[in-house]
Amino acid sequence: MREPEFKVVDPRRRFLLWFVPPLAVFVAGLVVLLVSGHITGPFRPVTVVRALFASKRDFFQDEQVKRILMARGYQVHVTPIGSRDLADKPDLDSYHFVFPSGHVANEHVKSRRAGKHVVPYRPFFTPVVLATFREYADALVRAKAAIPHGQGPNQLYYDLDMAAFKELSKTRWSDWGLSNGNRVIAQSPDPCKAYSGATLVGFFATAFGDEPPQTVEAAEQLALEVKPFVDAQGQAGEDMAPKYFVPEGRTHAVIAVIYEHQYIAYQLRQKTVDTERVLLYPTKQHQSTPELISFTPEGDRIGELMMNDPELRRRAVELGFHSLSWNGESADDFGTYIASRGLPKPPAGDAGRVQLPKAELFERMLDIVGDCK
Amino acid sequence: MRVLAAVLLLLLSACTSSTPPPVRLKVLASTELADLAPVLAELRKATGVELAVEYRGTVEASRSLAGFDLAWLSSGRFLRLRGAEPELSASVMTSPVVLGVKRGKRAALGERPTWADIADRAAVGEFRYGMADPRVSGGGMAALIGVATAAAGTGAPLRPQDVSCDRLQGFLAGRAFDVPDPVAEFTRRSDVDGLVAHESELLALNASGRVEPLEIVYPRDGIVLSDYPLMLVEPAHRESYDRVVEWLRSSAAQKMIAERTWRRPVDPSVVRHEKLRADLGTALYFPDSQEVLDRLLLFHDRAGDGRQVVFVLDYSTSMRGERIAGLREAFASLNGFDRFYVGETVTIVRFAGSVLEERSVTVRGRQDLDTLLSVVASDDLRDNTAIWAAVEHALKLARGETTVVLMTDGENNTGPSVDEFLRVGRGEVPVYPIRFGEASTAELDRVAQASGGRLVEAGAKSLLEAVREIRGCR
Repeated sequence: MREPEFKVVDPRRRFLLWFVPPLAVFVAGLVVLLVSGHITGPFRPVTVVRALFASKRDFFQDEQVKRILMARGYQVHVTPIGSRDLADKPDLDSYHFVFPSGHVANEHVKSRRAGKHVVPYRPFFTPVVLATFREYADALVRAKAAIPHGQGPNQLYYDLDMAAFKELSKTRWSDWGLSNGNRVIAQSPDPCKAYSGATLVGFFATAFGDEPPQTVEAAEQLALEVKPFVDAQGQAGEDMAPKYFVPEGRTHAVIAVIYEHQYIAYQLRQKTVDTERVLLYPTKQHQSTPELISFTPEGDRIGELMMNDPELRRRAVELGFHSLSWNGESADDFGTYIASRGLPKPPAGDAGRVQLPKAELFERMLDIVGDCK
Repeated sequence: MRVLAAVLLLLLSACTSSTPPPVRLKVLASTELADLAPVLAELRKATGVELAVEYRGTVEASRSLAGFDLAWLSSGRFLRLRGAEPELSASVMTSPVVLGVKRGKRAALGERPTWADIADRAAVGEFRYGMADPRVSGGGMAALIGVATAAAGTGAPLRPQDVSCDRLQGFLAGRAFDVPDPVAEFTRRSDVDGLVAHESELLALNASGRVEPLEIVYPRDGIVLSDYPLMLVEPAHRESYDRVVEWLRSSAAQKMIAERTWRRPVDPSVVRHEKLRADLGTALYFPDSQEVLDRLLLFHDRAGDGRQVVFVLDYSTSMRGERIAGLREAFASLNGFDRFYVGETVTIVRFAGSVLEERSVTVRGRQDLDTLLSVVASDDLRDNTAIWAAVEHALKLARGETTVVLMTDGENNTGPSVDEFLRVGRGEVPVYPIRFGEASTAELDRVAQASGGRLVEAGAKSLLEAVREIRGCR
């Protein structure tokens, strides 16, 4: 019979055996978080920057953008709002910066801030487009209002003749071989509130002539001509893009006014290119050049990061924006990047731009078209 | 070593200190959202935000959000019409308003039915359905708007002028009930063939096994989609609201919502149950006017009042041939939203130099429509045209809410003149003359105007189109 054996264990060793593996995991995690910029919170003060955003809030709500900004010591608190509402917001001055979607709101904000700190930055642009589905684009081709941009099947981009499209609103989709008895119209957010809705007014205005109106009377006259085509959709919706991309997209709207970047970002998220969803580019395009308008030094810092920070700028391209350099030239990283991801380059800026009327005349037109209160 | 451990503990606690304190928010939600309770329990665990929910029908809830921190309704559209939609709003899920049909009745509606097909069967008592009360419920109101838009057939949103005539009576004749909780009522009754409700409510009812499973019909002429926006009413709760929206829109929550409540996710990347993949087809546009909604409700409330329509039909010899054939065809082709409906009293007065025949039928079923067709089929055509004597006769038959439709192709040459006819007070009954052939526009228009009716020229269109145009007008 053997004597029982007693093993003497060094308590310090036991403690280390228990303690070292979790410690290693923790340290490794800490290093990763530090490098990625996530854990700066406990070590570095984070400046919370309050901002008002129109449709471009997707950019600041992107997880990677949040992370990059956090690594630079900033957290941007986003309040979403339509562009036109933004410009009229009573407590505008309480924000560090604002980010409206288009020139009318930009000008309005700047005039309200006259004599105070106001610095604009233009980090990128994106065209306003009419998003639709393959069979509807094909119907427009049959109706001679659209032509595919490029050769071969499954083109993603089409050129849209607004004058021909305007005439089609007297017809129904069922007249062009689709099982849909609704009239041929585009749906947009409320032109009183959202820039993309206002742009639809601008698109239809081009169908009545190339020259923007120069007088209040001419603007009012044009607005009355455009109004039936925008009214045709009934009650306008909100930001159309999220609903366009769901499987029920056709049921929400068969032609929805959205921004190109929303489409590009969606396509880049897909495993394979979605050839069912396609874009119509009015022959006279309109590019939304959102301005980050800063009211404070904290806002300036965000604006500078948007213009200079390579990580932020790369992320902007990944989110579908055409980047702009300090001198306002469009950089070529957009086309290169999306081509590398298998998407054809969209026809942005190819065939002329919509000449929108001067801000105050355009506002007058919007008020008439949208019955804005 | 101990110092190191203490430092690490301190760091760890620093990391968790960002968990926000628990919050309780008062929420006004659509009645059908009571099924979200398990999801809200998860929400509370994940975000610390407790939603204390009070349930009301969407239409009722849209009258005032006062006193609530958030609102979660089937649609923000009713608020938007009143300019009362909160600034922040985020769609969380969707569900279309559609029709569930008992298997035995499915074939009666046809392959891919439209709302017009449903109205057609409902009018003659061959299809009875339940729906939510549109005065209270968003689902009920959406159904009413959908059906009225389909009935107007313009392919455009309803404008006030599109609902100037009431074309819903046939559809509403098939309504077995409209109550705030139609699903519960449906399970209690056995005499109802179908239920107009959200797809989610129908799928949940099917899954519950409480009734024989309903087949879901997505009407071909269009549906109305509810998008359930969560809205921030009290701006001070912005931070909690953001947390709630972020969680509800996360893939895990979207999946949970789809699995437990049969609503469709708004996140396109969430994999859907086969039953949530059905193609919804076309959506009907939503009107941009409260007036349209008010008018629809007015028609809805008046449904089933047993209205009367008197057709005064010219059977003078000039009608022989194509004209009388066109008239018969117009009567035979009245279907869909234009069909004579159960409870409606239809009177036909045939006239030439005098009244030739008068026949009244209160519709009970399809056989009554055949009776009316047999009256119109008469070959008894005579000389002379006593238009105003015949209309006078028709006006005497009026009981309650009545419309007179006059169809004539010639000039009055017997009996009282139009002046004599108009000299006597004619009460409240509107006369809708349909003019074709050589009839006098001026005379017919005078009578239409004086009675509150409207002249319809059948010159450019068929008689059927002309009758359809004034069907339901009063």
